[in-house]
Amino acid sequence: MYAKAHTWWTILRISLEERLVYRGDFALGTLMRFLPIVTQVFLWKAIFEAIEFSRGGASAAGGEAIAGYSYQDFIAYYLLTMIGRAFSSMPGLASGIAQQIRNGEIKKFLVQPIDLVGFLLVNRLAHKLVYYSVAIGPFALVFFLCRGFFPGWPDATTVLAFLASLVMGFLLGFFLEATLGMIGFWFLEVSSLLFVYMLFSFFFSGHMFPIDMLPGVWEVIVEHLPLKYLAYFPAAVFLGKVQGPELARALWVELAWILFFIVASRVALSRGYRRYSGFGG
Amino acid sequence: MAIIEISALAKSYCIYQKQEGLLASVRGLFHRQYRTVEAVRGIDLQVEQGEFVAFLGPNGAGKTTTLKLLSGVITPSGGEATVMGYVPWKRENAYRRRFALVMGQKNQLWWDLPAQESFRLHQQIYRIEPERFERTRDELVDLLDVRGLLGQPVRELSLGERMKMELIAALLHSPEVLFLDEPTIGLDVIAQHNIQVFLRHYQQLRRITILLTSHYMKDVAALCKRVVIIAQGRIVYDGSLAGIIDRFSGYKVVSLLFPADSEPPRELSRFGEVLEEQFPKVKLRINRRTVPDVLAGILAAHTIEDVSVEDPPLEEVIAEMFSLAGEQIAANERAERIASG
Amino acid sequence: MSDRPNYLLVFATFARNSLVRDMTFRANFLIDAVSSLSWMLMNLGFYELIFMSTAEIGAQSGWHKYQFFIFLSTTLFINSVVQAFFMPNASELSELIRTGNLDFALLKPIDTQFLVSLAKIEWSSLANFLFACGLVGYSLWRLDFTPQPIQFVLYPIYLACGVAMLYSLMIALSSASIWLGRNQSLYDFWFYITNFSRYPMEIYRGPLGTPLRWAFTFVIPVLIVVNVPARLLAKPLSAENWSLAGFALVATAASLWASRWVFQRALASYRSASS
Repeated sequence: MYAKAHTWWTILRISLEERLVYRGDFALGTLMRFLPIVTQVFLWKAIFEAIEFSRGGASAAGGEAIAGYSYQDFIAYYLLTMIGRAFSSMPGLASGIAQQIRNGEIKKFLVQPIDLVGFLLVNRLAHKLVYYSVAIGPFALVFFLCRGFFPGWPDATTVLAFLASLVMGFLLGFFLEATLGMIGFWFLEVSSLLFVYMLFSFFFSGHMFPIDMLPGVWEVIVEHLPLKYLAYFPAAVFLGKVQGPELARALWVELAWILFFIVASRVALSRGYRRYSGFGG
Repeated sequence: MAIIEISALAKSYCIYQKQEGLLASVRGLFHRQYRTVEAVRGIDLQVEQGEFVAFLGPNGAGKTTTLKLLSGVITPSGGEATVMGYVPWKRENAYRRRFALVMGQKNQLWWDLPAQESFRLHQQIYRIEPERFERTRDELVDLLDVRGLLGQPVRELSLGERMKMELIAALLHSPEVLFLDEPTIGLDVIAQHNIQVFLRHYQQLRRITILLTSHYMKDVAALCKRVVIIAQGRIVYDGSLAGIIDRFSGYKVVSLLFPADSEPPRELSRFGEVLEEQFPKVKLRINRRTVPDVLAGILAAHTIEDVSVEDPPLEEVIAEMFSLAGEQIAANERAERIASG
Repeated sequence: MSDRPNYLLVFATFARNSLVRDMTFRANFLIDAVSSLSWMLMNLGFYELIFMSTAEIGAQSGWHKYQFFIFLSTTLFINSVVQAFFMPNASELSELIRTGNLDFALLKPIDTQFLVSLAKIEWSSLANFLFACGLVGYSLWRLDFTPQPIQFVLYPIYLACGVAMLYSLMIALSSASIWLGRNQSLYDFWFYITNFSRYPMEIYRGPLGTPLRWAFTFVIPVLIVVNVPARLLAKPLSAENWSLAGFALVATAASLWASRWVFQRALASYRSASS
């Protein structure tokens, strides 16, 4: 038992060291990643100004003009989704698994006493930890510069819920993409499927715009998908758009989704192994 | 006038300490650490039209760099060179249509397309008239026996077949000067042989000037009368292959065959260095000046069934020569530095 | 053999070879085409959502829904052409420099920049071009005024200017890899800079916006790329547009000249790679 924990720790440590070599480049790259926010700042300002103008300049500072979000809310929202995405995005996870299946590397997990999903989880954890240890600098800088967009610190419960949603977002994102990757056991070419998922995810996770903006039936559909927890949910929680019993319910549903995908990935893995060994040699 | 004239050609590189990542690269723009590598240190050479010359040398000697300088791919740090009257690094189109460079480890043909499509592109770029193009292509294809492979994507061909296609592509525009950089590297013996046969035939047919670099003695021995040895960026020998052995090798290898039932000889080491001893065969290395005396001595002391006297393997001679040349160059440089204070 | 190659014929061969290659990997071709179309549809959906809440972007800027869609189409036209003809070559150039395979390009009796800029064409990126044709047609139909004939004539000219300017930026950045080495960050830099070009100039206002607008108009003229042709088609002709349009021509010429200069300097410093 201790030996196993020691192994995980070694893996974590090595992955960390590997990433830290590119520290400076990393920090600069992270800072650059905020550049698109600049254009968003101007874009939404222009939109809200147009709304203001069309209303004869009556409402104060744009008001809560779009789906209950003000101009400042929008910018705050985008910045918060960047944090959410930092936790929940798993670049290369699904395609990596599919590739390992395709080129037979997966065999080593059949033979060695290492659990594939567990290994990948620790690996991702290491990657995220490094990302934050270095990225926290640029992130903090940007948030400090943009503090005017935020409505102040929310209360303790909200902060707790926010942190919980981030952690759960990480788990959900991981197990969801891991399960997707396992489809490689049944279909050789998963890249098109993964691409479709990425597209949907980008549009319906709230990365592009707050889900509240969607009209009628679209909003209902998206509310029931797990994708919203990847970007929209943590941001909405922090901004106080989801509160009280609604918040509690959403968190429970998120937990349910996580459990669902944990089970799904396990089932897919064991079924996949069985099918895989059936390929002979 | 010689077709290739090189005078005091030199090329040195500043190797900057490798910067990793963007931040370090930007910092590196202001504050660089570097060391200078002199790849070519002043070469003088003249090649007449129709000659087939080999460049030999250890890795990093400057052979490939010299070829690249003559092709205009890189610009020199000093010195001059002209090929067919052109200055190569001016990269004039008129020059580029009249020579070709083939590099053994690099591929210029489109990877996913059949070779014939790359040939067509060549025809367009070099502006070769259709009938002349077809005639040349067919001639080359038949000489190299690759007709059936023209329609296959290049990535599906074997290394040897790909090399043949590269040669064809290079010769489609009938260049007057051909530079070959290790054309047979990585090929199996048969493929090497085929290419050697082709090159010899083609050169005799067209009387073009060829510069060849190679590691393989067989290439050089089969094709070139004139060998230029480059070590550490300088020419250390320029002449025939046979001349190398005469000049640089002080030794001969004597192989002795003793009668099977005789006693194993002792103290052979007083005759020379024992290279191999597998009774009844023994190989000795003997200073070539003392060969007659040593032979006489051995024959007097032992009964011998068979004896042969040979030059040491060419590779060995050349390898030894490289290290000697390197030492000499280093010594010269030390002397220069001391002399200049 | 006459001296100069027939550049048109050579380009035609490049086009044909690339098409043959794309058709060999048909599945990838379709996926690429569909993916670029899907991204476009998502963007369109996003702006549809925005225009449900507001009549225009930017107070009194004139960018109402269909004007903005023309702006979008313009972005699409220019970007699809750049992605089809120049982007694959720009990334290839960095690879060629890194591996030393640029040697072969330098051996050919043809202008090296031409060879290196046009050798590969990604036909699947033109799917967006077709989509843009549809979008611009639809938007023009729904527009509340009809553009004059001269606007239709000037539009493709300024599209070409936009393509030329983006090309210049691209080739300058790729050539810079001779000095800076292989750098993903160069590519990212390209992406972030061109990101600014996807929105109407009018949104860049205020203490931060105005210098930004100035910098991206006169220093790195990415704002000219889409804005000038889009304005020319989507809005009625007006005098204030003429000076900008004239400047756009100057900027295009200057960009092309500057990028060629950078490219030539890069070639002169080229040091191949050890084989």
